[in-house]
Amino acid sequence: MTTIALPEIEADEVRPKVRELTSAEFPAANEVWRDYHGVIGDPGWDRVFAAFLSGRIVSLARCRRHPDGSMEVDGVFTPGAFRGRGYAHMVMNALVVACHNDDLYMYAVESLAGFYAEFGFISIPERDLPPPIRERYVWAAGNMEGAEVRPMFRRAGL
Amino acid sequence: MNSGTPLAMSFSSTRNRIALIAGLTVLALGGNLLGLVLGAPEGLLPLPALPLSIPIILASYWYPRRGILFSVCLAAIYAVTVFLLSPSAPLFALTILPRAIFLVLVGGVVALLATRLRESEQQMNQIIEFLPDATFAIDREGKVIAWNRAIEEMTGLQKDTMLGRGDYEYAVPFYDERRPLLADRILQGDPEAGYPSVRREGGVFISEIHTPHLRSGRGSHIRLAATALLDRNGKVAGAIESIRDVSDEVMMEAALQNASRQLNTLSGILRTDLANRLAVLYGHLSVGVMKFDDPEVLSFIDDLHEAANGIRRQIEISREFRDIGTSPPAWIPVQETIRNAAAGLSFGPVSLQAWTERLEVFADPHLATVFTHLFENALDPATGVTRIVVTYQLRPDGCAIIVEDDGTGIPNEEKEKLFVQNAEGYGHGLFLAHEILAITGIAIRETGTFGTGARFEILVPSEGCRIV
Repeated sequence: MTTIALPEIEADEVRPKVRELTSAEFPAANEVWRDYHGVIGDPGWDRVFAAFLSGRIVSLARCRRHPDGSMEVDGVFTPGAFRGRGYAHMVMNALVVACHNDDLYMYAVESLAGFYAEFGFISIPERDLPPPIRERYVWAAGNMEGAEVRPMFRRAGL
Repeated sequence: MNSGTPLAMSFSSTRNRIALIAGLTVLALGGNLLGLVLGAPEGLLPLPALPLSIPIILASYWYPRRGILFSVCLAAIYAVTVFLLSPSAPLFALTILPRAIFLVLVGGVVALLATRLRESEQQMNQIIEFLPDATFAIDREGKVIAWNRAIEEMTGLQKDTMLGRGDYEYAVPFYDERRPLLADRILQGDPEAGYPSVRREGGVFISEIHTPHLRSGRGSHIRLAATALLDRNGKVAGAIESIRDVSDEVMMEAALQNASRQLNTLSGILRTDLANRLAVLYGHLSVGVMKFDDPEVLSFIDDLHEAANGIRRQIEISREFRDIGTSPPAWIPVQETIRNAAAGLSFGPVSLQAWTERLEVFADPHLATVFTHLFENALDPATGVTRIVVTYQLRPDGCAIIVEDDGTGIPNEEKEKLFVQNAEGYGHGLFLAHEILAITGIAIRETGTFGTGARFEILVPSEGCRIV
């Protein structure tokens, strides 16, 4: 990302820099995601945003384009040692701005629904999710509470 | 077209063909008759019809319209002679009839296929004949097998006199001597020998030369395009060459280059003079700021300074406009381009966020100028912009790079005129941006809502964008 006049990011080296990963950096993200359901990024379909601190990835979020064009947010993950510092907030903010031209969908972990609501996500019935995204939780047979996830949606726009 | 095979060459005359058919017919019928008269073994009766199919096939292939009639006659003669001269037996006639029908069918099928082949050849000849470009084709031995109407007009040599000619005779109208043309070079496997800057587009070799012998000795610039003719096994069976007179295009291009050079020289002189005068004006304004302390006068000087800055930008735009299109387009990383464009501008309190990492577009190398002008417009204090965001969106027909801000935006009535060349539009540089993008088929439009901010969409066609 090119950021001009954002002193809180540029001036303070203690604060991480947030940017989109290049294709060559996907393996590094996969390494971080190893502890998060073994998520694997695919440069052909995914845009991955990361917070870097001293060259190390401290938080990640992914926006995946499905074959039908629908966009799904997932893989929002901060390793335990770096939690509680707002890194995930910064990464999600970057993702939402970068991908704001499209409607975004996600299965949010139930306890984080409030976090995603800060970025404009609202709860929706599972049937309103595009089919390729809904497929992920077919096994839950509609019991979202049991699976502890909540279908959410963010309308396109800044 | 000639097939070029020895058999076809030997029997290319009607007399030879008829003699061959007649000979084979007599041999086959005679053999049958002899067998019947001398008394063929009973196991061979009725005598086989297969030898008769050879003259029938040849007759139907060479003369499709009379092929069926010929095969009917031959089948009838076969059936009657065999029936009359064979020992009578019950159901014997029934065994002769299918053989006669077989002969008729062979003749019919071959005649039908030969007719189709002739039609296809006829169509191909017609296509070559009426091609607007002068076109000829040669076989593997370098003999002319096609010479169309346009090349008759270009060279003054008629088709009848050229068909079958070899030994590079077809080169004489162009070079005044017998020498290999581009088509010959392809047959020889070395298309680039003897021709300047031969380029390849797919399987076609293209070159341009000047020949002093065409146009009644006045000379012509001609563009040659030649390709190999392949047989069904993929082997080179000949070559075809098209020749286009591009003298008018070449002269027009030279004239335009001259005019462009003169205009560039003139505009360069004007720019230099204007820049010199502007330097003097800036000097006076600087002195004025030091000399006066009256706020009204200083405000007036500020206004003059702003106007001078506007003139300076006009000079820069004029210089950039001179350069666009002079370098070939290339794949350009968008994020880096935006970074470079932003580096030359003062954003003050305005934030710029660009989220175009991994996106590359095929564009004129002056793509940065496009972003410079878009940012400059947004940074005009009158717009009230505090934030500029650059993103992209993949769409079914390509990709849109979106530059948007949170300023006042563009009134609807002004949107259509934004990219048109006029005094005001040119000043904004958006006409220049439009022209830079248009070089590689990229469009630009404004889709923002007045009151909530400007939103420029740069629409890149599918083949001009990629994610790396």
